[in-house]
Amino acid sequence: MNRATRLAAWAVSLPPTLFLLLFFLAPSVIMVLASLRYPGEFGGLAALLPLFPADGVETGLTGEAYAFIFSDLTYLEIFGRSFIVAALTTFICILLAYPLAALIARSPKRHRDLMVLLVILPFASNFLVRVYAWIIILGPLNLLYTSSAVLIGMVYVHLPFMVLPLYTNLEKHDPALLEAAQDLGANAWTRFWRITFPLSLPGIYSGSALVFIPVLGMFAIPELLGGTGDILIGNLIKEQFLDNRDWPLGSAVSIMLTLAVLLLAAFTVWAGRTRRRQA
Amino acid sequence: MRCMLYIVLSLLAAPLCAADELYLYNWNNYISDATVARFEQYCGCRLVQDYYSDNEEMLAKLEAGAAGYDLLVPTGNAVESLIRRGALRALDHAQLPHLGNVKPEYLNTWFDPGNRYSVPYAYTVTLLGYNEEKMRELQLPTDSWALIFEPKYLEKIRGKVTVLNSQRELMGAAMIYLGHSAQDKDPAKWQQAKDLIIRAKPYWATFSNSTYIKDLAIGNIWVAQGYSSDMYRAQQDALDAGRPFHVGFSTPQEGAVIALDNFVLHKSGRRPDLAHKFINFMLDGRNAADISNHIGAGNPNAAAMPYIVPEIAGNEAIFPTPTQMGEMEMLRDFDARSRRVLTRLWTEIKLR
Repeated sequence: MNRATRLAAWAVSLPPTLFLLLFFLAPSVIMVLASLRYPGEFGGLAALLPLFPADGVETGLTGEAYAFIFSDLTYLEIFGRSFIVAALTTFICILLAYPLAALIARSPKRHRDLMVLLVILPFASNFLVRVYAWIIILGPLNLLYTSSAVLIGMVYVHLPFMVLPLYTNLEKHDPALLEAAQDLGANAWTRFWRITFPLSLPGIYSGSALVFIPVLGMFAIPELLGGTGDILIGNLIKEQFLDNRDWPLGSAVSIMLTLAVLLLAAFTVWAGRTRRRQA
Repeated sequence: MRCMLYIVLSLLAAPLCAADELYLYNWNNYISDATVARFEQYCGCRLVQDYYSDNEEMLAKLEAGAAGYDLLVPTGNAVESLIRRGALRALDHAQLPHLGNVKPEYLNTWFDPGNRYSVPYAYTVTLLGYNEEKMRELQLPTDSWALIFEPKYLEKIRGKVTVLNSQRELMGAAMIYLGHSAQDKDPAKWQQAKDLIIRAKPYWATFSNSTYIKDLAIGNIWVAQGYSSDMYRAQQDALDAGRPFHVGFSTPQEGAVIALDNFVLHKSGRRPDLAHKFINFMLDGRNAADISNHIGAGNPNAAAMPYIVPEIAGNEAIFPTPTQMGEMEMLRDFDARSRRVLTRLWTEIKLR
């Protein structure tokens, strides 16, 4: 690479890098610091220095929020439960989105844009309005206020995020590959399983990331559609910031969530690499 | 093209012309349109409203830096927080000649001795709303918290009950039912309340802070813990829709939590003159009566009583009798450490 192109590369990548530093790294650092403080009397954070001591409010740094989370299994159970809901939602989304994405990818070109438009059309109306519509649909079916209702709501809201990356991937497949396989005697199932599916894995991965991670943080759907036992990490975090005014605890739970997601992402990348090396 | 230019210019000029604007940060559905229209005519200004659905939301937004509100309508415990935070502007009683209209028992409260910062506006009671026909048919008691806590009653209405999604309100009701104060911080008593709630939970449909209004009015839900003004609305909605049942509500005999909401001046407000004018206007009996007549909230204003329709003024669930009043408690804020203990109990309740 000569100097000019290197300079151009820097210039192009600088804005997104700055964006990430400003809107991802900086808030994360603030959150880590917030999680190590004492809660303020009226929400917010207690002072770092005991300059104006108020009764019963401690100042300084502490690991109490983390000790509190790990002092019994309650909070870890909620983490476990949220990961199960997120995994189930992702899996159902793959099952539902794959045929749809394949159908769109194989349709005549002039229909495709319209079909993609139809997939993203629900975004035109407000998210909460759509969830309220589910309250009306699920009520008479006796499904409202159950864990199934939460799952239905999650899948409904996130399905387009699975369809779109899958479609973009499937659209690029070269039909000649399938024809060659057919000429060599592969039946429909073998053609799908040995050719289409492996080639579509990147689409599945990016779709899964787009579904799995937002589901982990979602709190509106369990709150509106769920029953008395449907509490996920998102609800826990929201409760700490709004209802309970315990920002350090809320921050600590958020950081644990971020770490869990990063670990998962790292594991996926690592697993992908080892597989490729074996292949 | 010229027309376009005029529109753009008038949009730019609008904020300059509308200098007489009063910013009110209020609960959803807590002042009637008729009252707003009358005030705007009286003062020749515009009343701009923003809304919140609970005190915590309002405090959190202010804590995060929301500014420019002349008036807020916090509940007692939130008034105390705001005063101690130094977020309020002291009232000028000389500009509030109608202050004497407020019943003496609502003045000089623990959260603001001498009413230096707050003027009581309205109150609601956290109580039980229910489907009258179903309760009669199933012979269930509607005057006790037992209706939402005792399995022997709950098994007849399984899946038809909602309770508030609020750790303070639900724990408060359980504590009061067990004969304790909602204010008690004794961990052993909290444990008892938690056990009571966990025993009743399988019979409840969900925790709900707002959807119960619609669910009661439609008939999806037969019993709900909620606020008196919301229950009044559910009752009216069911009547207006001509449902074949009625929504009733009453205060449990064991006692209940009462929330007294007050007008206060936020320091970030730019028009304390208009804000005082507004409070004094709202203290006038005829204007004060609107909150009860249209919203179904209790009224601390003595001068309002003659203007309140008899069905509402005589409704003990909206205007508690002095005896009932003696059983009522206002919620006070807990310190950070107790809040953390309570939140763990609350999470365990949700999880079990």
